[in-house]
Amino acid sequence: MNPGTLLLASAASFVASIVAGNRYARAWLTLTLTGVFAGLSAALIVLLGTTDWEWRSTLIVGGQLVFLRLDGLSALFLVLVSVVGGAGAVYAHEYWSEDDYPTSAPRGRMWWSGLVLSMGLVLTIVNGLHFLIAWESFAICAYFLITLDRQRRAVRAAGWLYLAASHAGTVALFAFFASLAARTGSWELGPLRDHASLAPLFWLALFGFGVKAGVFPLHFWLPDAHANAPSHVSAVMSAVAIKMGIYGIVRFSGWLPMPAAAGWVVIALGATSALLGIAFAFAQDDVKRLLAYCSVENVGVIMIGLGGAMLAAAHGHASWGLLALSGALLHVWNHGAFKALLFFGAGSVLHATGTRTMSRLGGLWRTMPWTTGMFAIGAVAVSGLPPLNGFVSEWLVYLGLLDAVVSKGPAAWAAMPAIIMLAMAGALALASFTKAGALIFLGSPRTQAAAAAHESGRWMRLPMLTLAALCIALALVPVLFWPAVARAVNAWDTSWPPAAVPNSLTSIGRTQVALALAAVAATFLLLHKVRTNGLRRGLTWDCAYAAPTAHMQYSSGSFAGIVVGWFAWILRPQGIVRRPRGLLPLKAFRIGHNPETVLELVIGPVSRVIVQASRTASRLQHGNLQAYILYVIAALVALGSVAWLAGTP
Amino acid sequence: MNISVNLLVGFAMGLNLIALGSNRLPSLIRAMSVQGVLLGIIPLLMEKELDWRVALVALATAIGKGVVIPGLLRRAMRAASIEREVDPFIGFVPSLLLGAAGTVAAVALAQGLPLLPEHAGSLLVPGALASVLTGFILLVGRSKAISQVCGYLILENGIYLFGLLLIKTTPLLVEAGVLLDVTVGVFVIGIIVDHIQRAFDSLDTRKLTALRE
Repeated sequence: MNPGTLLLASAASFVASIVAGNRYARAWLTLTLTGVFAGLSAALIVLLGTTDWEWRSTLIVGGQLVFLRLDGLSALFLVLVSVVGGAGAVYAHEYWSEDDYPTSAPRGRMWWSGLVLSMGLVLTIVNGLHFLIAWESFAICAYFLITLDRQRRAVRAAGWLYLAASHAGTVALFAFFASLAARTGSWELGPLRDHASLAPLFWLALFGFGVKAGVFPLHFWLPDAHANAPSHVSAVMSAVAIKMGIYGIVRFSGWLPMPAAAGWVVIALGATSALLGIAFAFAQDDVKRLLAYCSVENVGVIMIGLGGAMLAAAHGHASWGLLALSGALLHVWNHGAFKALLFFGAGSVLHATGTRTMSRLGGLWRTMPWTTGMFAIGAVAVSGLPPLNGFVSEWLVYLGLLDAVVSKGPAAWAAMPAIIMLAMAGALALASFTKAGALIFLGSPRTQAAAAAHESGRWMRLPMLTLAALCIALALVPVLFWPAVARAVNAWDTSWPPAAVPNSLTSIGRTQVALALAAVAATFLLLHKVRTNGLRRGLTWDCAYAAPTAHMQYSSGSFAGIVVGWFAWILRPQGIVRRPRGLLPLKAFRIGHNPETVLELVIGPVSRVIVQASRTASRLQHGNLQAYILYVIAALVALGSVAWLAGTP
Repeated sequence: MNISVNLLVGFAMGLNLIALGSNRLPSLIRAMSVQGVLLGIIPLLMEKELDWRVALVALATAIGKGVVIPGLLRRAMRAASIEREVDPFIGFVPSLLLGAAGTVAAVALAQGLPLLPEHAGSLLVPGALASVLTGFILLVGRSKAISQVCGYLILENGIYLFGLLLIKTTPLLVEAGVLLDVTVGVFVIGIIVDHIQRAFDSLDTRKLTALRE
């Protein structure tokens, strides 16, 4: 079938599902899944074929002809939108059902369809004006999804912050597309590498898309929005929506000429995001905030790969640039799969216990075995450990950077520190997810709510299983996914030779399979041993204390304490401590809080100054008619004197 | 011809000062209406041979500004049964001083403007500027809505004086349109005055600050 027909069918079913979503949950789900499958097939046809799909219609919107295109790069992202869009819809069917949320469930369904549809449009539109329209409607759909549970104050605050940050980015994009159109004479987008004068516009695009992608200093809206949104929305935001920012950066770094410093800046931003993102993640006590900060880290990994590729393109080293970029693009898929899986897991825990605070959970593996298993798979993947998929893409990025170091070009100076920071980020990611997994699922329940948890139903388990299977597939047979990634890389830089499957990828696939088999075998061996010998249960050694309680387990703060100390210069942990005093101390406590440093130390004070200035200015607007007329006279006199002065030579 | 026109404009400038100095609404309205009639006569004196269209404009202006608008204002004043005091923001003496200074400034400014030679000796331009300034002073310095309407009308008189410079080239329709605008404006303000009175039990525009956000 032709991709155009499929995309049309997909768009039609999404429009229909927006209409149906208000009333009919089942019909909405069916229509959404139809749309998702149609979109997915269109993307796969383009990715696995050799030709791009283009549709230049005679339809005019806003004075511009509608022009759609699906090439390798946009198809790669469209696959992600479709997979997570479908999985989240199934998940929401139980997680945000009519029974629990009678008013917001229908709204949630409609905005969900709107979100997936507008993201699809963002990916296919190749006209600057229409891109902005689609981009804005995507941001607004996301806003309404984040604030589905708007009775809660924190949710509303997070929604406003998201909306404000998102629009700050959109302003930059308006400037970007408008100046692009002014300089090229057309709103139509496409490869413009030979217009050297367009290079500075890249900075505008980097800022505008960087806000959406959550690159380090621009990530300040992300933890609040992703933590306070309903979990299926957090999943689509973290796994897909921020990738739209990545898409923008990748797309326009491929189409526009690059300023000389672009590659260096992107790789530096990526390395900073990776390291600081995961440092912030490690310090969190809220599992969804942890996952959100971890997204900042993963965006950093992708940016490192992209920055490496940009350096390679600038200095003519196609081979390692290709590796770095394909690692980055594969990581887009990988992160989409495991982050959605993790957010679904966290949502499952939230659904069962009513809390996101890890220090109130514990011991859930007994009551929620499925969720535990799925979360474990996601955690191993996100930590970049073999034999799961996070390792594959990060390894490709590493390989690209290592080749850059070996080639001893100027890029080595960027690649070397990036490798070190990536490695540190990887170690901290492992620590973060050890903490999250251990606090939530292992040990014994810290509160009544955690003890009374229950496993989630099949509508929530099914998407988790699908995503976990996808993670395993991406991990064990990465060769299968290579053609798609190679095609996307080729769409980024057409001058690079079409790449065969790199040997490293083949060998890493084999190693992963071997490791996975070994792990499965070890598990079976262990189970067998346990069955035959039986388990001996005993208390954890507790210094012979007579009355151990669940609260004596590691808490989030104690687990992360040392690392938080290393990063105290940026994390700025705050806490109230009351130490035990005297021989028989009665009360002692420590309340810790890890603020969002960029938000509270930079954005906060700056916006307070702006608010103060606006307040002062608003005193001019007091409602006194006479004074208003005086303003008019003053303005007239001022204008008159300007004209007078300008008139006299 | 210029002498009689200048005489009338001079009268109008004097009426500006009377309007600034009057402490009761009826006298303010009267000053304004007399000024309107005077201005209505001016076009008749400017032309050597009388064109019937110019005569029509003059007649309409005189009736509109001298009879209809003041009548509307008096009716509004009665209907809203407001006190007759002007209740100034800027006191009468400061208003008069400002008005006088404004008149002097207007004459000085008119000297500096690049005018056509035929208008150079005329008082039309200084009179226009002085009336505009007086209108502004009344608008800013008085708190009752009716006195502000008067201020607005005097301001409009100034603009009309300015327009007389171009009477040969301005089509009749524009003149008539301006007059109609003013009448409708006053009519609307009459209604608004009534509503302000009902809502606030007073015509003091200072109380409108309660409406701001």
